[in-house]
Amino acid sequence: MIGASRWPALALGCIALSAAFGAPAGGPESWVPIRWQGGPLEVARRTLDGTLPQDSAVREALARWYEPETLDLLAGSPVNCLLVTWSSGGEPSVEEKQHALVGAYARRAREKGIAVLGLVYAGASPARFVPPAIEAGLDGLMVDGGPEGGAALTAQVANALRSAGSAALVLTVAGTPAEAFASSSAVAIVQGVWPGARNLADMGIRSGPSADSWIDSNIWLVRYLRAAAPGRPVWISSEPRDGAATGFLRCAAEAAVAGGRWIIAPDDQWRAAWLRKAPEALAKWERLAACLKFAAEHAEWRSFTPYGKLGIVVDPAGPSPDASNEYLNLAARRQIPYRVILRPRLDREALAGLQALLAADLSAPTSEERALLGNFAGQGGLVVAGPSWGVASKDQPYVELPLAKGRVVVYRDDPPDPEEVARDLLDLLSTEQMGVSAFNVPSVLVYAGTGGPSGPVLIQLLNYSGFPAEAITLRVNGSFKRAWLHQPGAAAVELTLNRTGQWTELAVRELAVWGGVLLEQ
Amino acid sequence: MQTTTGNFSRRDWLAVSGLAAGVLAAGRAQAAAAAPVAPVAVAKVPSYDEDLVARFETMFDQIGGLGGLVRDKTVAMKLNLTGGGRYEGYTAGQTHWVHPRVVGALTAVFGKLGARRVRILESAGRREGIPLEDKLLSGGWDVNAIRNAAPVVEFEDTNGLGLSKSYSTLQVRTAPMIFSAFTLNRSYEDCDFFVSVGKMKNHEEMGITMSMKNLFGITPALLYGSRETVFHYGRVQPPSGVPAELDPKSNRYEGWRLPRLITDICGARPIDLAVLDGIESCVGGEGPWCLGSKPCKPQLLLVGRNCVCTDAVGVATMGYNPRAGRNEAPFRVYKDPKGHPPEQLIPPGETHQYAENIMLLAESVGMGSADLSRIEVRGVPVKEAMFDFEAFWKGQMRA
Repeated sequence: MIGASRWPALALGCIALSAAFGAPAGGPESWVPIRWQGGPLEVARRTLDGTLPQDSAVREALARWYEPETLDLLAGSPVNCLLVTWSSGGEPSVEEKQHALVGAYARRAREKGIAVLGLVYAGASPARFVPPAIEAGLDGLMVDGGPEGGAALTAQVANALRSAGSAALVLTVAGTPAEAFASSSAVAIVQGVWPGARNLADMGIRSGPSADSWIDSNIWLVRYLRAAAPGRPVWISSEPRDGAATGFLRCAAEAAVAGGRWIIAPDDQWRAAWLRKAPEALAKWERLAACLKFAAEHAEWRSFTPYGKLGIVVDPAGPSPDASNEYLNLAARRQIPYRVILRPRLDREALAGLQALLAADLSAPTSEERALLGNFAGQGGLVVAGPSWGVASKDQPYVELPLAKGRVVVYRDDPPDPEEVARDLLDLLSTEQMGVSAFNVPSVLVYAGTGGPSGPVLIQLLNYSGFPAEAITLRVNGSFKRAWLHQPGAAAVELTLNRTGQWTELAVRELAVWGGVLLEQ
Repeated sequence: MQTTTGNFSRRDWLAVSGLAAGVLAAGRAQAAAAAPVAPVAVAKVPSYDEDLVARFETMFDQIGGLGGLVRDKTVAMKLNLTGGGRYEGYTAGQTHWVHPRVVGALTAVFGKLGARRVRILESAGRREGIPLEDKLLSGGWDVNAIRNAAPVVEFEDTNGLGLSKSYSTLQVRTAPMIFSAFTLNRSYEDCDFFVSVGKMKNHEEMGITMSMKNLFGITPALLYGSRETVFHYGRVQPPSGVPAELDPKSNRYEGWRLPRLITDICGARPIDLAVLDGIESCVGGEGPWCLGSKPCKPQLLLVGRNCVCTDAVGVATMGYNPRAGRNEAPFRVYKDPKGHPPEQLIPPGETHQYAENIMLLAESVGMGSADLSRIEVRGVPVKEAMFDFEAFWKGQMRA
C-alpha cells in the first residue's frame, strides 16, 4: 500500500516529463483514457490469440488506426489519454514498424494536448520496447498482461525505465481489487465488471420474492480504491459485453459516480464505423462524449465526502478478501449509504458522525479495536461484529446484545455471509441511520455524498437497466431549500421538495442512465 | 382433462380420486353441490389508461350494486403486492402486483358510493413502524393520488400490529383443514366490507393467484415468523399464544398444505368482494423471480361477491378448467421437482409437482361454487374474454 502523501509526488513527476516532451499539462488525475489499439502489431497480436475481427473492413480499420485522421475523431471531447498498442513480443520487424508508426502518431497526439500510454502485453521484452518508448516520448507504459505475468513484467518495465533515467509512468491493470490496492502504480487500475442488471431467473437462478435484481457494479470498487489512497486516480478496465450505446454510457457514468474513470473501450465494429463516419456510430460517440463532458462539468462532485451514518470497516490484509469486497458491494446493492473505513485507519476520528459500524471483517479485533468499538456501542451506536466478538448464538444467524446505550450484533459464522449481513442491515438500521432512502429503484444504485457539514448533499443515481427508470422517490434526512436534477445532455431541472418533519422527499420522474440530485441546505 | 374416451391416465385417476377421497372423507360432497353462487362481472379492458372508475361502476352494477353495502361503512381492501423485482421494461403493477390505477379507481368508486373510510391493507414491512406507503412508493405508485381518491383513505401495513395495539383472532367459520383460527392485524376484523384485490396470474406453488390466494398475505409474519417456514412447509409451529395447527403431523408438502391453509384463511376472513386485475399480468409464476415466467396482457377485469365463483370464472378466462385435477394445468406446477422428496410427487417419478385445486377445496367446505354451469357471468362471456395463459406460456400465441 502506498501512503496518500506519495501521489502528489508521482503526479509532479509525470507533469515534469510531459513538459520535457511538450505534452499536455496535467497528470493522470486529469486524464480521460481510451483504448486506442491498432496498427500492424495489433493485427498480428489478434491473429495469434484468435480475436481478429472476421469483417475485412473492420480489420482494415484496425490496421490503419494510427493514420492522423483518427485523432480528429476525438476533437471536442474530454478524452485526452490514448492507450496505444506498443509491444506484445511479436516479430521484431513488426514491433519496429509499430514503434515508428505509433511514435509519429504520439507526437501528433501530444501536440493536441493528448497524453499517450503504450500498452504492453505478456511476452513483450522490456529491453526491446522501453528504449523506443522513451524515444517516442510516451507518457507511460501500461502492462495489460492479464492475471499471468503482469506483476513481473511491470517490475521489469519499471527497472528498465529507471535504468534509462526515464520518469515515464508504469501502470498495470490489476486483476483483483487486492492487487490494485497493493499496487504502487500512480493510477489504481483494476479489471472491473461490465455494469448491468439482470433478473436472477433470467440467469437460471431460482430465487424468491424478496430477491433483488442482480446488479454488476464497480461503484463499490472505485470507492474502496479511492478510500485506500485518496488522491490517486482510479481507472476501471472492462470490455464491452455488447455494442449497445447505453452500456457504454453506463460504464463511463458509473465509474465517474464515485470519482473514478472508465477506460473507454470502443469495440472494433464501432471504431470501424466511426472512422467511416457512419451516422449511428457518430451518434453513439456523441452520446458518450456528452456523458464525459457532464462528468467534467461536475468535477467538483468527485471531491464530495461519502454520505453515511454507517461505517464499514475493511481489513485489506484480512483472511477473507472476497467477503470484505462483498460487504461493500452488497450494502451498496441494498441502497445502504456507508463510509469505507480501512482497518489501519480505524480510530476515534474515523468514527466521528457515525451511528453504526459494520466490523464483521475484523476477524479478531485487537484489544484496542475492541475497546474502541465497545465505547462506540456504549455511547448509543450499533456495532455489527463477527463471532470473534464472543457470545455468538449456536442456533440463530446472529444475536443482538444491548451494551450501555447501544447494542452489538454478533454473527455466528466467520466471516458472516455478506448477502445475509446486507439484508439484515435493513432490519438493524433505523430509517434515521440510513439517512437517505430511495424507492422504486430495483435496477438503480444510489450513491450519496456531501459537500461539508452545511454544504449541499448530492445523491447520484445510476440506472443499470436497459430501460429508463421512472417514478423514483428520494427521502433525505434534513431540511433543504432547493434541489436540482442534473443529467447528461439535459438542462438542470428544479425538483419540488416535500417536507415532513425531519425528512425531505422529492421525486425523479425519469432517469435515463445517470443523474445527480443536488440538494442545497 | 380426458374423461370417458379410454385415455384417462393413472395420474388423472389419482388426481381426481385423491381429491374426491379427501372430499368424501370430510363428508362434504353435499356441501359442494349446494355451495353458494353469485354472479361475476367480466370486462375486457385494453389498458390501465382506460376510465377504470366508470368500468368498476358498471361492473358493480352488473353484480347487483354495492351502494347499500358500503355507504357509511369502513371498506378494507387487501392488495396483492409481492416482491419488488421487475420484468425488464415493466412496472411491478403491470405484471405481478395489482396496478395502482386499479386501486385508485376502486378507492374512488367506494368514495363515490359513500364509504366512510377506505382502508388499504397489505403485509409488507420487515419490521414494525414502516408505513405501507413506503412499499407502494417502492413500486413507483403515486400514493397521494390514491390518498386523494376518496374523502378518508388510510394505509396500514398488516404484517404486524400496524396502527393497533393488539391483534384479533378470527375463527375459521368453514370446516377447518389446517388451522381453526388465525391471529391477524385488527384491521381485518375492524371493517364492514372486505375486498380482496388480487392479480390474475399463475403461481409457482399454487398454480394460480387470484382473489383467494391473495389472502395468504393477511397473515402477520412479524407475529408468526417466516410464512415459508411456518405455513408453506410447516417446519416449525406458530409461536405460543397464537392458534396452533390442528394436526402437526399432517402432510408437509406445500402443494397440499397451501391450498387448504388459504381456504382456512378465507374461512376466517370472508371476502365480501373479489376483484381480479388481469389487464396486464404474468404467466408461468407469480413474479419475475420464477424461472420461465414472463409478462402478458390478458386485458381482463373481473369482480364478484363470491370469491370462489369469481376465481373460477377468472380461471376459465385464463383458458383453464376451474375444476381441473392436481396433475392438470394450472395445478401441474414446475417449481422444483428435484428439490422435493420423491414420495411427495404423486405418482412417483413425475417431472412436475402438484397443487390442490383451491377452488374445489373451498367448494367442498361450502364457501362457493366452482361450477361454471351454476355461475352467472355478466358483461363479456368467458369465451370472448378468454386469454389462454397456457398457450401463451408455451409460446403458442402472442400477447
